[in-house]
Amino acid sequence: MLEARLAQASVLKRTLDAIKDLVSDANLDCDDNGLKLQSMDQAHVALVALALRSNAFEPYRCDRNINLGMSLGSLSKIIKCAGNDDVVTLKAEDNKDKIHIMLEAPNNDRLSEYSLKLMDIDAEHYGIPETEYDATVRMSSVEFQRICRDLLVLSESMTIETTKEGVRFSADGDIGAGSVTLKQGGSVDAENKETATQVELNEPVTLTFSLKYLANFTKATPLSDVVYLSMSSDQPLLVEYRIEDIGYIRYYLAPKIGDAN
Amino acid sequence: MPSWPIGKDVPYSALCEVFDEVSETRSRLLILKYMTRFFVDIIRHNPQELVYAVYLSLNRLGPEYEGKELGLGESILLKAIAQSTGREVKMLKADLQRLGDLGEVAVLSRGKQRTMFKPKPLTLRHVFKTLSELASITGSSSQAKKVDKINSLLVGCTDNQAKYLIRSCAGKLRIGLAEQTILPSLAQAFTIAEQKNNKLPSEEKLVRHIEIVKQVFSELPNYDRLIEAMLTHGVANLAEHCELTPGIPLKPMLAHPTKSLTEVLDRFENMMFTCEYKYDGERAQIHRTPAGQSFVYSRNSENLSQKYPDILSRIASFSAKDADGNPKAKSFVLDCEAVAWDRQAGKILPFQVLSTRKRKNTTDEEIAVQVCVFAFDLLYLNGEALTRKTLRERRALLYEHFEAQDGRFAFAVHSEGSNVNDIQEFLDASIVDACEGLMVKTLDRDASYEPSRRSRNWLKVKKDYLSGVGDSLDLVVIGGYIGKGKRTGWYGGYLLACYDEESEAYQAICKVGTGFSEENLKLFSETLQSHIISGPRSYYEWTDHPLVRPDVWFEPKLVFEIKAADLSLSPVHKAAYGHIDSEKGISLRFPRFLRLRDDKAPEQATNATQVADLFRAQNRHGDDKDKD
Repeated sequence: MLEARLAQASVLKRTLDAIKDLVSDANLDCDDNGLKLQSMDQAHVALVALALRSNAFEPYRCDRNINLGMSLGSLSKIIKCAGNDDVVTLKAEDNKDKIHIMLEAPNNDRLSEYSLKLMDIDAEHYGIPETEYDATVRMSSVEFQRICRDLLVLSESMTIETTKEGVRFSADGDIGAGSVTLKQGGSVDAENKETATQVELNEPVTLTFSLKYLANFTKATPLSDVVYLSMSSDQPLLVEYRIEDIGYIRYYLAPKIGDAN
Repeated sequence: MPSWPIGKDVPYSALCEVFDEVSETRSRLLILKYMTRFFVDIIRHNPQELVYAVYLSLNRLGPEYEGKELGLGESILLKAIAQSTGREVKMLKADLQRLGDLGEVAVLSRGKQRTMFKPKPLTLRHVFKTLSELASITGSSSQAKKVDKINSLLVGCTDNQAKYLIRSCAGKLRIGLAEQTILPSLAQAFTIAEQKNNKLPSEEKLVRHIEIVKQVFSELPNYDRLIEAMLTHGVANLAEHCELTPGIPLKPMLAHPTKSLTEVLDRFENMMFTCEYKYDGERAQIHRTPAGQSFVYSRNSENLSQKYPDILSRIASFSAKDADGNPKAKSFVLDCEAVAWDRQAGKILPFQVLSTRKRKNTTDEEIAVQVCVFAFDLLYLNGEALTRKTLRERRALLYEHFEAQDGRFAFAVHSEGSNVNDIQEFLDASIVDACEGLMVKTLDRDASYEPSRRSRNWLKVKKDYLSGVGDSLDLVVIGGYIGKGKRTGWYGGYLLACYDEESEAYQAICKVGTGFSEENLKLFSETLQSHIISGPRSYYEWTDHPLVRPDVWFEPKLVFEIKAADLSLSPVHKAAYGHIDSEKGISLRFPRFLRLRDDKAPEQATNATQVADLFRAQNRHGDDKDKD
């Protein structure tokens, strides 16, 4: 049996918004460490890994590991019914075909109860190898979102190039070409030094990715001020948004090959 | 040795590799060799999967007469490719413009984008089963479900596989692999696999076995049954285990067109022959199984039971009764023509009336157009195939076991006169009786029923043959010209093409702008609206000449029956080029639209070989005249 009470519905709302377009149905794996979800998109080009640790919830109770298969779109629709400050409680009994969702207004005078039908999802579990990345960029998530949006006008692919000096995003398409370079240590937002661009580099890396996917990943922007981009030659890109100290969304994206655009 | 590990299912990649080889050559012999080698490997190591390999090679999901096919549209395939490669439909369309083939677009899109993990290889079995499921999806949100299914396959594709997969979904492989090659390959493969020692079978044995398989298949066009029988009984004994079966349509025997009665007499000199009325209706093959089931099939082996429920309900009563009142014909296959019939006047109505009948879901009560069935041949009777008997014998059995019913079931009128005057009189009589002309057939010698063959033992003489080009041509509409003046708002003319089976291409043959009624023009303009494509398909063969270039291109969809004054060599049209002249194609002079052939698929249009034959026949005729 699972019971997980989350003080702020907005976290769950944003989390679901960030993954539901990439993965329509998935298993939510619950154990005493918290909630986890891992799934590939339909094209097997990207993989999403989500974790919400038990400390995100108060209280959190999970006696036995359970997998809850569900439509993320449907769950998102229900969670959207909550106000941002509502308290959300997820409840699922062992071997039942439903998950219960309770939404309580902060002043305790409104209680809504929903249930969502579960489904059997036959998903293979893929082990993501823990790799040492050659380059990791830490930067403003808003800036990353903007770059993806701007370059999507030009092309369906974007090349990310990391050097000691910084990181360069470029796109080359039929109507023209464009690039954005962020310097090491520079900050887009002078007020907020937290989001300054940092490049940790063992070796320079240049890889090309589908912008459609990258733009899709930036739906997680509201969850975190900073985003981490980790790359190694010929390996999938890792785009990570850390959700305070309670969890993360990690997107993995296979690179494009052949001509850059 | 097969290219896949022994003991494992045949991978889809093995088939695609053979497709690659096949598409790189135009040599029939090489294609035959490649297919044979592939089939031998399967027969030896994975016999149960042979049927999937055959159907995927033919791009079918089952016997043709079951009519289960894919033929998915461009938009749904684009959607699937977009989803399974993470690209935008807009970008895919741009690539499609450039490459002209969705299969190539799929390969390109997949090739550029890696996946997170190496996909599990697709197997023949899995691909075939999934495509079958795909074809049976109907009802609500079927579009989305289909896209999902295609996706699940596309994700597993590597290298060139996406190309063939997408083409299979679209309904055409376009690698020059024809059914005429599959059958001999199968026959050869079984013969080779059956050899006890490692020696290759003799050429003579191969040829003999190919003939056996072709013959059996023409009577029983069902690969499941054929392969099953070959696996258990071998090729040599195939005919004993596989024969004409009521319920399974065979390809009908077809007649050769002729242009004069003298031509007929020349052909059948010193032979006994018979003339039959050629009724102007729809070919109908009527089956009754021993279990009492009835079927009506078209000339393309299409099940017409929904179109002719009235015929279906009557079939049991066609048989004559014996002394005890039991039907003499318990199971049978009849070759007939279904003709529109005026019950009040007791007369045949023109074909145009028949074509107004609804094609589907007619119920017995609401039928406006009545039909009478005119039987002219009997192919199977009470457990025995009659195809190898002579027409005289078959006809005797037909008359003995069946009974005409007024306005419902009749025998084709025939006459055995053998001089020109008799035949001319009979031809005139046929016209008076609202028929198209005559069928002239051998009675005793060379008089077996030859399924699927356009035989010279059957000749057709149409009233309108006797001048101009003998037969009309059935041509595919591939382009349109914007109408002017009275035809503003419609297409004023069309670019037509014949079908070249060798290259699976449509070859432009002529423009047509006469013979259309206003209703025709309106109807065709509307119908074609949804088949407009942005440019010519890569498999359209045409010359970009101001006189030819159409304003709009269409998908191959409509088939027009066209009559012309004669055929001529043309520097701009591509029909049958290479057959007569290495450079020039053939065109039609003064083409005129006769009617829409909605019973024919574009691939069943007049083919390049037939066009070349018509051209030769015309010129031979001209030479004769010169001699007189």
